[in-house]
Amino acid sequence: MKDRLLPYWLLIPAFIIVLATTIYPLAYSFITSFRAWDLTKSRRPEGFVGLDNYLYAAGESQFLNSLWVTFVFVITSVILTVVLAMALALLLRRKGPMHTFTRIILILPFAMSPALIGVSYRFMFNPEFGVIANGLGAVFPALQGVPWLADPQLAMGILVLTDVWHWTPYMTFMCLGGLASIPRETEEAARIDGASNLRIVFGIILPQMRGVILVMAVLKTIFALKMFDQVVTLTGGGPGTSTETLAYFIFNVGFRWFDMGYASALAWILTAIMMFISIWYVRMLLSERKMATA
Amino acid sequence: MAEVRLVDIEKKYGNFLAVPKQSLTIHDGEFLVLLGPSGCGKTTTMRMIAGLEDITSGDIMIKGERVNDKPPKDRDIAMVFQNYGLYPHMTVRQNIEYPLKLRGMSKVDRKARVQETAEKVELDALLERRPSELSGGQRQRVALARAIVRTPSIFLMDEPLSNLDAKLRVTMRAELKHLHHELGVTTVYVTHDQMEAMTLATRVAVMRDGKIVQLDTPKKIYAEPADLFVAGFIGSPSMNLIDGAVQSGVFRADGVELPVDLAGCKGVVLGIRPEELDITEDAGAAISGKLYALELTGESTLVTLRNGPSSVCARGHADFEAEINSPCHLAPKDGARIHLFDRATGERLR
Repeated sequence: MKDRLLPYWLLIPAFIIVLATTIYPLAYSFITSFRAWDLTKSRRPEGFVGLDNYLYAAGESQFLNSLWVTFVFVITSVILTVVLAMALALLLRRKGPMHTFTRIILILPFAMSPALIGVSYRFMFNPEFGVIANGLGAVFPALQGVPWLADPQLAMGILVLTDVWHWTPYMTFMCLGGLASIPRETEEAARIDGASNLRIVFGIILPQMRGVILVMAVLKTIFALKMFDQVVTLTGGGPGTSTETLAYFIFNVGFRWFDMGYASALAWILTAIMMFISIWYVRMLLSERKMATA
Repeated sequence: MAEVRLVDIEKKYGNFLAVPKQSLTIHDGEFLVLLGPSGCGKTTTMRMIAGLEDITSGDIMIKGERVNDKPPKDRDIAMVFQNYGLYPHMTVRQNIEYPLKLRGMSKVDRKARVQETAEKVELDALLERRPSELSGGQRQRVALARAIVRTPSIFLMDEPLSNLDAKLRVTMRAELKHLHHELGVTTVYVTHDQMEAMTLATRVAVMRDGKIVQLDTPKKIYAEPADLFVAGFIGSPSMNLIDGAVQSGVFRADGVELPVDLAGCKGVVLGIRPEELDITEDAGAAISGKLYALELTGESTLVTLRNGPSSVCARGHADFEAEINSPCHLAPKDGARIHLFDRATGERLR
């Protein structure tokens, strides 16, 4: 009897920590999202306002802007990362000393802190002394003196670039793992059947990578939805609000304007989006597994 | 005329010599089996013919044309893989159809050809299934169908039956044999299973360490193995190989005394197949020892006797019975083939 209970006793400390650091704040923020709470006026949440915070969000242009910015950011960064990672993995799939070396150095961008990436890129794109800005200017004279981070489209482009640069290596490794699980025979059979290299990639390899690509896309989407660090250190949401992602906007509402009730409601909107994607992903994965084991 | 000629081909991986320089001609319509233990270079040889592996030196000629630099698709070959190599995301129909599609055949013709081929390998009821919904035998049939659908000049088969269970393997073996008879296409078949080689082949090339040690008909290889390795590899149960010496025309070892066609030689291995030995009551018989084991196989009983370090196996009548450890005597049947090999070099002496 004692032995049977022991595992549960051992789990209790971890359970309490999870409860205190995750479940409690989640529940607290959920309740707060239905209350008014201006931190400059009160140290405690004030009265319940029903769905007011949510309804206000639906009509607020800044929130809708951040939603649009996040949408654009997620779509571009996910597509670019997945495509690049797949292409790199196909190149690095072969074995050899050069490939091993490249694989090792490839992990470096992923090892860097996102906040640091933002700072570095801000310097590198500085029109006066930035190495990339100057380099581009030297190669293409038309690009001399372009205020990279002061232009809304370019700033978004650079934000996407830093994220793609950060995530592509990790995704490449996921692709390499997926590629390794594809039986070599299918590719060789296709080669003998008369398929060209391009046809082998698109007709034989990619369809077999469907599951891996799906996992990558969903994971990357969830991470991109939370984009915050690089926005803070690279663009500060600007110029204007052109790179103000949802996570950054929530931070501003909560910790700059101290409207905790509204910030909680926004945070829950973001959570709902991510939960929706996660559930959809698990369902897809389960149905795929069912197909594979049928 | 789909003849395949390998002329002085050699394959090296860095410093490792996988297939030393050798030549081989596979005649038109022949079923040639490359037989050998794993790692002997048989699959590498086949992959070189397919064009999946570059050759280090030498020439590969298919239908009289040098194909060294031709990609696999231009060699007019089809290959069946050990793990089937089916496209998991395609249905059986799409799998079989794929090579035709790549060759630009029209949809109507493709459909007719797939139907015809599927019927040939009894797959017509499964055309809309995916490979994951098929049994091992069915998958192998799909692989076969995909190979025969575009009527290539040469079939390459890399241990196609080794992933199937024993019973299915026997059935598929007969199907392969029938298919070869029906299509008459030159076939190169790789296996480590000597039974498959014996039953399927027109000729067998027994390989060891990348080299072909004997190339002949199954009958000849069974009757006259070129060396000790082939003698031990072919036949089930394998040939009895007894270590001893020959003195004045008599081979002697523990419990063995057998007149042979050789004057004298030290370090001789005598080989005799189990089915060429008779169990006898005669205490003066050529081979004597104690009964070690009796194994009933159904149609016969395998009798193993031991004397010192050497053991000898004979195939006896299914009804044969005796006490374990009782004295037992064996004598070669009339006209039995007795093989003599040099122990040091493994070469055949007689």
